[in-house]
Amino acid sequence: MSIRLSDGLLKSVEKPSRYTGNEWNSVIKDPKTVDIRFAFCFPDTYEIGMSHLGMKILYHLLNERQDCYCERVFAPWTDMEAKMRENNIPLYALETKDEIKNFDFIGFTLQYEMSFTNIVNMLDLAGVPLTTADRKDNDPFVCAGGPCAYNPEPLADIIDFFMLGEGEEIINEVMDEYVKWKGTGKSRIAFLEEIAKLEGIYVPSFYEFDYNEDGTIKSFTPIKPQYPVKIKKRIIKDMDKVYYPEKMIVPYTDIVHDRIMLEVFRGCIRGCRFCQAGFIYRPVREKSHERLMELAKKLEESTGYEEISLTSLSTSDYSQLEEFTTELLDEMKERKVGLSLPSLRLDSFSLDLMEKAQKVRKSGLTFAPEAGTQRLRDVINKGITEEDLLNAVSLAFNGGWHGVKLYFMLGLPTETNEDVEGIADLAHKVVHAYKRVPMEKKGKGLNVTVSTATFVPKAFTPFQWEAQDSIENVSQKQMLLKERIRSKQITYNYHENKLSFLEAVFARGDRRICKALIKAWELGCKFDGWGEYFKYDIWMKAFEECGVDPYFYATRKREYDEILPWDHIDIGVSKKFLINESKKAYEEKITPNCRVNCGGCGAAVFESGICGGNGIG
Amino acid sequence: MANIRTKFKRGDEVKFISHLDLMKVFERAIRRARLPIAYSQGFNPHPNMVFGLPLSVGVTSEAEYGDFEITDEQMSVNEFLTRLNSQLPKGLEIIAAKARKSKDNIMALIAASRYSVVVGINSPCTEKDIKTSLNKYLAQNEIIVKKRTKSGIKDTNIRDMIFDLNFEYKPCGTFSIVKFSMLVSAGSKANLKPELLIDSIFDFMKLDYEIERIHREKLFIMAQNQLLDPMDGLVL
Ligand code: SF4
Repeated sequence: MSIRLSDGLLKSVEKPSRYTGNEWNSVIKDPKTVDIRFAFCFPDTYEIGMSHLGMKILYHLLNERQDCYCERVFAPWTDMEAKMRENNIPLYALETKDEIKNFDFIGFTLQYEMSFTNIVNMLDLAGVPLTTADRKDNDPFVCAGGPCAYNPEPLADIIDFFMLGEGEEIINEVMDEYVKWKGTGKSRIAFLEEIAKLEGIYVPSFYEFDYNEDGTIKSFTPIKPQYPVKIKKRIIKDMDKVYYPEKMIVPYTDIVHDRIMLEVFRGCIRGCRFCQAGFIYRPVREKSHERLMELAKKLEESTGYEEISLTSLSTSDYSQLEEFTTELLDEMKERKVGLSLPSLRLDSFSLDLMEKAQKVRKSGLTFAPEAGTQRLRDVINKGITEEDLLNAVSLAFNGGWHGVKLYFMLGLPTETNEDVEGIADLAHKVVHAYKRVPMEKKGKGLNVTVSTATFVPKAFTPFQWEAQDSIENVSQKQMLLKERIRSKQITYNYHENKLSFLEAVFARGDRRICKALIKAWELGCKFDGWGEYFKYDIWMKAFEECGVDPYFYATRKREYDEILPWDHIDIGVSKKFLINESKKAYEEKITPNCRVNCGGCGAAVFESGICGGNGIG
Repeated sequence: MANIRTKFKRGDEVKFISHLDLMKVFERAIRRARLPIAYSQGFNPHPNMVFGLPLSVGVTSEAEYGDFEITDEQMSVNEFLTRLNSQLPKGLEIIAAKARKSKDNIMALIAASRYSVVVGINSPCTEKDIKTSLNKYLAQNEIIVKKRTKSGIKDTNIRDMIFDLNFEYKPCGTFSIVKFSMLVSAGSKANLKPELLIDSIFDFMKLDYEIERIHREKLFIMAQNQLLDPMDGLVL
């Protein structure tokens, strides 16, 4: 039954249009006509969830099925949650306002470890038992996918099954199995056993972990011999044939990315050693520029958006960027559609493109050298030199730009104070580059922003064995950097270290930390990623009460032969390759990108994209 | 260039959208409808459209107005209306469109608005009680309320902003429902929000109440010394 939200209630909360639905291109169906009701849950606010491409794709993909109605669910902001609890309003889906407790599936997309408490909170708000073990036959199946699903263990007690890899490839197969199972009267387990046969499905309750005395993992075993021992991720082979929505929901309220998102390719050729996305999404697969043109036109027509953003991990690496953007700009000129180009490497072509593409405000450009010295940039395999950076900013300054944001990480493996000071030196060199620009070309007033984040070692990267730098060490480095920055034209911002510490615990946690997650939620944690709600002390209390040592997960260095909690997941990239990359990091040796030279990472098993040998997707 | 004035409805589905967001909704609907809207000059071109008095969040209306400038003189107002309607989300509907010759900005001319406000009263009271109190209320020479202005909260006399105030009474168990109909000042010179008036009335009557819904029924502009419908031939 559809729940009722009174006007008074909605008027009393911030941004009520987060909770009312009815946006243009949202899908309206009669729930009585479908077999499957799917609640697609994003464990963060409406504005963040609605900006997420994966959700847009899967929402429309599932709704293409006549037998399925997929609706959206976001985490209510704390003011709304309080009102909902006060008035006994359960978590509901945006399209029908029906409570999701009665749906067939509750699916979460996992983008960020710090949203895990929101998952627990949303299940609780929905009135669905929090753990797999407590769910009964008439409860929905709780499933999850997305980048954080590659280390599924911290959510092993909560999620009934994970979908590994690209959702477009697997979700329909799961739905088909569900339709076959529904109404047969067979148990929940029977359904899970059916889908466990599909490549890419991981059912945590079908496996057991055994531990050594020192707390490391001794073994990982399926509880029945027929369950697969390795779970291989699924990928789309042909990006031109893959489903892509021709309509996208146009929200009423401002969201983070309020524009058409056009995905130009998946994966990344670069292989920066800290970057999880760079490994889990391998190999690179591109869309042809003809297909992109077709999609751009259709999406512009169906949404009325005035801006298109080209998305990917590194848009400059798209092999047909020049042809495509020229054609696109030409096509869209009359309709006054702007282009937004995040993640461009700064060279003369891209600056030129940026100038043509949008109603550019010449204030901000971003650049991510990640480390302050060439030595450390070689360690992390960030293929950027100081010269690259200074050339790029000089070009930009000569073109009238006068704001640069520089992103760095602190706490990278092998980092010394010299590397930290190198960040300040680099920033000063940028200031210097500005001074050399002739007066008449200069924009008004230089503004360099240096931001540092704390490095978090992630699963499936060459740094997955590394210890995270301690909170105290990183704080000291922040202070050192602060002291070293002498120019008034440089602003220094840094992140909350304690949050990165917690992120590190979950990024490489095993299933023993799940109880601490639930405990932390019980003690009041949610929206941990939102500074004002992050409660470090409560988290520490939760770990203590559950007998979980967070340092074991965050700040411990692992041996190469240790069994890692995610070793049963197969992303194509081999462990051997990661070990090799880890060793090369210590030798300060770089690995060229996939287009220069195939490094033989293992992702070629998928027989698609860049590894095919033709150099492009 | 041709100018078109439209009158539109704003239903429950879209009553929680802010005024600024509503402009975006129209802008995108116009783009989808491929209507030949004129754009402002400059770095960041905007479609030339002007809307009447912004509605408060949560208020529905059957009397909203928007002026649009289009570049195609040949396009009929009817075609404009039909094409725009086909691209507007549920809850928004153009109910009339007329060509406009006058250059006067609708925003500047708005003078009054009629609202109906449904209020639930949670304490015992009769129709007569309300009638008596209302008469007393309106008999005051000055009615001072705390009004939020740009420079903070200010005492304001609203007596002259109330042109007309009526009500219908309906008992409902221990509850009573009162539907007020009010004609009040609106626009940039003097604007009385219906919530504020209701608050002030119930403050005076010392009764517990809750506003159930507010709906705008009419909007008037002041032209040639009279209150006129913005679609009136005299003002277009
Ligand atoms: S197999 Fe070679 S080309 Fe393919 S992703 Fe790995 S390194 Fe790149």
